[in-house]
Amino acid sequence: MSDQPFTNLSESRPESRLASSWSAATGSWLPAVILLLATIMAWEAVVRIFAISAFIIPAPSEIAQSLVAQWATLMQATLVTAGEILFGFLVSVVVGIAIALVIVRFDWLGRALYPLVVLFQNVPKVALAPIFILWFGYGLAPKIGLILVIAFFPVTLSMLAGMQSVDRSLLSLMNSVGASRTQILFRIRVPHSLPNLMAGTKIAATLSVIGAIVGEFAGASDGLGYVIQFASTQLDTALVFAALLLVSVLGIAFYYAAEILERIVVPWAPKFSQS
Amino acid sequence: MRMEPIRPAGGRPAHIRHDDDLISAKGVSVVMARQLVLQNIDLSVPKGSFVSLIGPSGCGKSTLLKVLAGLANPTSGSVSIAGLSPGEAARKRMIGLVFQDANLLPWKNAVDNASMLLGIADKSLSRAQLKARGQEMLELVGLGDSAHKRPHELSGGMRQRVAIARALALDPAVLLMDEPFGALDAITRDQMGQSLLEIWQRTGKTIVLVTHSIDEAIHLSRHVHVLGIKPGRITESLDIGLPYPRDLSVTEDPEFVRLVVQLRMMLRASHQPGGAS
Repeated sequence: MSDQPFTNLSESRPESRLASSWSAATGSWLPAVILLLATIMAWEAVVRIFAISAFIIPAPSEIAQSLVAQWATLMQATLVTAGEILFGFLVSVVVGIAIALVIVRFDWLGRALYPLVVLFQNVPKVALAPIFILWFGYGLAPKIGLILVIAFFPVTLSMLAGMQSVDRSLLSLMNSVGASRTQILFRIRVPHSLPNLMAGTKIAATLSVIGAIVGEFAGASDGLGYVIQFASTQLDTALVFAALLLVSVLGIAFYYAAEILERIVVPWAPKFSQS
Repeated sequence: MRMEPIRPAGGRPAHIRHDDDLISAKGVSVVMARQLVLQNIDLSVPKGSFVSLIGPSGCGKSTLLKVLAGLANPTSGSVSIAGLSPGEAARKRMIGLVFQDANLLPWKNAVDNASMLLGIADKSLSRAQLKARGQEMLELVGLGDSAHKRPHELSGGMRQRVAIARALALDPAVLLMDEPFGALDAITRDQMGQSLLEIWQRTGKTIVLVTHSIDEAIHLSRHVHVLGIKPGRITESLDIGLPYPRDLSVTEDPEFVRLVVQLRMMLRASHQPGGAS
């Protein structure tokens, strides 16, 4: 028998996952961009041809003019709303993770807490906005509170699903060397849950935008939600649309920030967008 | 629940209850969900030997391995590993486990996976010591140059090698393996079996292998125990007299062929429920 019996084994290695190319990426974007441009042009044409009043449906060109004219106000409002979203999102993620950890680590507390968390999900949380204004005033606090109650749930639920889907034989291995519950939690369950958690975090990022706008609708003196409400009372529909555009841009920005975070936190996670 | 009377050990090979037994199970029965999964198992595994448990699906061979590992408790009967209970033996790092799924942690590379269990079992070891031990074990299983690869960069056979390295890193007295090559293709499976034989001969570990491959059982083991179904019990035991070291050419040996036929007939008989004892 040779000294190195393992060197000439012909086991195949799987291909690298880093095979997607730039041209494939732009190719997949192109149809969406074409459709968007076509829609904007058709919108402009319809509004002009049928002479639709600007306070019912403003043309894209009028929205652009409003955007430029009100740029300073809009930017100030965007910064306020972005701050609320970011703060509220971070609080939601931290609280969502904490609740999931408590449910998994402490059996009896988990059994008490989990049904209540699910029950709370059935409360229409948007309707809580006026109460939060009543309790916390018109400042930042009611917005953070509203974002929290809307956005923590997907974080908790996704992390729970990830922590509870650890393979039983892996747990057997850990038990066989006398690992404690805390060791299994932090060495196995938490890292194993990260891909799920990041998926939940992306949903929370989107919900945070909704939470901030709803909070501003209910009572605010600043922010994009306030601009939308104020402009609609003035029948300045072009400004409403301009603010809506900025809200959408914020939403997209937060979603992609969460996606970049995902790539940093779980570079080893399986990717779904492979073809 | 109805308990069968203890069966006489007549007709069994003479190695039973030898002084050098590392593992000795006496009268082990397991009842799960009102089903008698294992009935009155007497099993002795001599120190340093390679023993296979073979049987049809549902014969409880995986349950028996769990009982030996201390992961399940027998309803009656006792198991001792070098005089200790399986739980005590596990706490003293005497038991290394390998399952069908490698269960590597995808966020750790091969060397960190190989030393992962050791790090939990022995908190006094430094990171450098763990890495050194992991690297040493990877070299033993033939993956010395893949230390920094993540599991997704390894093939199924390579992942299973890391799982074996992880079990060996504990320096256990016995390696308990539950269909470790069951998910691999036939060629990889043969190579893995051969590698396992060579690891066994280098390290002198005692190995208990659960398998449903007749060829694998005869190729690798010194003793094969056949389990029957309903309830799971040891119906036959077969000593494999083929000399070590063995390589894959042993499969062409007339004695190997004779043993395959004999074991196949034993397995066929073991499919009959109830047993004629």
